[in-house]
Formats: sequence, C-alpha cells, structure tokens
Amino acid sequence: MGSIKQIPVVEAKRTNPLARVFDDLVRFCRSRSLFILHYCTGCGAIELPPAMTSRFDMERLGIQPMVSPRQADILLITGYVSIKTLKRVILTYEQMGSPKYVIGICSCTVNGGMYWQSYATAKKLDEYMPVDLYIAGCMPRPEAVIAGLQQLMDKIHSGEASSWEDYYRNYDYYLGNQQKLFGEDWQTPTDVISEAKHYDLLSEGTLGDHTRLLEQHQKPLEALEMRLGHEQEEPAK
Amino acid sequence: MSKEITHWLDDLLAEIEGIVVRRKSSRRVRVDVPADALPALLELLQGRAGYIHLSAISCVDWIKEDEFELVYHVWSYESHSLVSAHIRIAREPGVYLSVYDLYQPAAFFERDIHEMYGIHFEGSPNMEKFILTEWDGPPPMRKEFDSEAYINEHLSWQNYNPEWLQELVAEGGGVIIPPEEQRFSQKKK
Ligand code: SF4
Repeated sequence: MGSIKQIPVVEAKRTNPLARVFDDLVRFCRSRSLFILHYCTGCGAIELPPAMTSRFDMERLGIQPMVSPRQADILLITGYVSIKTLKRVILTYEQMGSPKYVIGICSCTVNGGMYWQSYATAKKLDEYMPVDLYIAGCMPRPEAVIAGLQQLMDKIHSGEASSWEDYYRNYDYYLGNQQKLFGEDWQTPTDVISEAKHYDLLSEGTLGDHTRLLEQHQKPLEALEMRLGHEQEEPAK
Repeated sequence: MSKEITHWLDDLLAEIEGIVVRRKSSRRVRVDVPADALPALLELLQGRAGYIHLSAISCVDWIKEDEFELVYHVWSYESHSLVSAHIRIAREPGVYLSVYDLYQPAAFFERDIHEMYGIHFEGSPNMEKFILTEWDGPPPMRKEFDSEAYINEHLSWQNYNPEWLQELVAEGGGVIIPPEEQRFSQKKK
C-alpha cells in the first residue's frame, strides 16, 4: 500500500441544486443543539447556575453544558480574563472543533469593566479571538444571558455567526495581539494555519509578519510527561 | 473570665521594650513594636498567651515615609481575641526576618508579600513566584508601580461609548453616560 499522501484528494464541488435548502436545514439543526463550554473566568459565572437550572432552564433552548472543548460549540467567557487565564482560553478555543462561537459575558470582556486599570487582566477579548456576541452588564442577569443565547441561535440560523472563520482568515492579526501580550515565543499546540487550509479559509490575513515570527520561534511539540502525584515512591510494605 | 486574660495579657506585653498597646475593642488589641522586637513578642504571645493562629500578614507601602508596614494578626482560640502587631521596616533594602519557625503558615503569606511588594524574608522556606508565575514586571503592589501607565503601554482598552447604547435606549432600556461622567484618563483635556 502506498502512503496516505498518495491517495488523491477530490475537491468537493457544490453542484446539487438542493444544497441551499440542505444548508439551511443544517444551520437550523445546528442552532437547536448547542453545547456550551463555560470557561468561568470571573465573577459573572455566578449567573450561569440559575440560567442553567430549573428557574430559567437553558435546556429548553437545546443548550447544555459540555465538559470538553472538543465537543463544545460555544465558548462562554464569563467575566474578566487575566493574562494568565487568557493563554488557557486561547488554547481551549483553538482546540474546539469548527464551527465554534464565542460569547463574552460581562462588561469586563468588552472593555475591561471595573478592572480596566488592572495590570493583570486583558481588556478587549475580541483582540485575541473573534467574539460573536457580547452580553454586557456587571453582571448580566440570567434573563439577559438567555436573551443573548437566543440571539446567537438566530444568528447561527441566518448564517451570520461566522466569526470562527474570521480567526482563520485573520489569524495574523490575532496572533499579533497575542504575541504582543505574551511575548514573541508564544506558541499553541494547535496548527491553525493547516486548519485554515483544511477549511479552505486561507486568505491574505492568515499569513503575515506574526506568523513568520511564530515559525522562527516554534518548537516541535512533545508529549506531556505523565506524572501521578509527587515523585513515585516505593509503596510501604 | 475574659477580663482576667486581658489583664494578664497587659502584664505580658509590658515585658517588651518600646511597645505601644492600643485596645481597639474588647477583643481586638493593636500593638506597635520596633521591628527587632517582633519575634520576641510573637514568641511570647504564642508560647504564653495561647495566640497560636497566625491568620494573616498584611503589608502597607508608605512610600512618602519610605517605609513598609507589616501587620501580623494572631488569634487566640482561648480568649477569642485578635492581636495585630504592627512594625515598620525601611523600604530599602526591604528585608525582614521570617517568622516561619514560629508560625508555619507564614511561609505562604511571606511568599505572597515578597511577590507583591518585593520584600525579602530571611529564612522563609520559599521565595519563588506564587500566583504571578507568568509576570515579569516589578512587584505590582508597590506604590511606585503605575498600573495605569502600564496598561496604556501594554494593553488597549476602550471607554464606554454612549453611542453603543442608543440602540438599547431606543428599545426602552440602557443608561447613557454623559461625557462629564466618563473615565477621567480618557477624557479629552
Ligand atoms: S463585569 Fe462585573 S460581574 Fe462581570 S466579571 Fe467584571 S466585575 Fe465581575
């Protein structure tokens, strides 16, 4: 058998006249089954339990919490993001499968909120990753959260919620902002450029000065060392 | 019974030279001591008066006086009272003794203060970074660190823009912030 690279890849062409109808159906279904990964970064997270549980009951909209980024559709950032956390948020965001949506809850994600003067928090979330929807407030009530989620559902259905494509199209811009904050040797385990190629979203903004800088500093990834507890000790007899 | 203990405490504290005792309330005592007398005071309080719980060490930066104030809060489970021992140390070089050998939880407090104020505690078991592991700027709680200048240099942020809210206001909600109430640093001079 030849290697996997030799298998020719056939470009899919949309020739079916029913494709539009089918797309619409897909978007409808997509908007009705959303899994959220709530990255509870700040105090706004406290409004999520009532939004999820029986009082306001998010599940009647088909929205449920999910435990892992790989299976989640929505990344919910609930409040101020410290610079240390932002790194983890970006790692998480990049690990989510497309299509993915980001909601910034709380004023802190919009412009820094009451922590605008803090050395430790990032101010504008949409500089580091594309945000579909902001729910402002300090903190927004569960009604506002639910209204925001409904808006997102409408946006997904109408096809407007395509900010995840923006991350691939303008990766250089986002990477530039990340590098400015985290230093030049900032690197994530996800190969965003190859993913952009995979989704056929490679465009002018994908590559640029910052991705070149990334290539210079990039270190090959190694598997994480597995460790249980502290140093392994001999079990006591 | 608590009266007895407080009298007894007064006698005990009088053993330390240069001490100023101020009774804040029936269960709170503030003492000011010279920095070199603090270990002896804590030893007395712990060993002879039952103040076995060091609940916090706090730090204040008095930049104009060129001093750091360290406050050791110790609690007694017997007399249910709190003694706060205040000391002042020079801002430069900002070195003090660790009380880890008396109160082991001091290790965390001292590490935290070291990280936030840059004070070095001699004899503390670990002076590594604690929470700000990815921070390489100056200790951020020192008064000379200008947080606003730092964010203006490193981060971009935006003021509230009343125009954003017009849509909301049209729907019958929202609050408009008039320009004179907007954040001072962004106001046009
Ligand atoms: S907007 Fe208010 S509630 Fe939300 S994270 Fe910021 S300070 Fe907390």
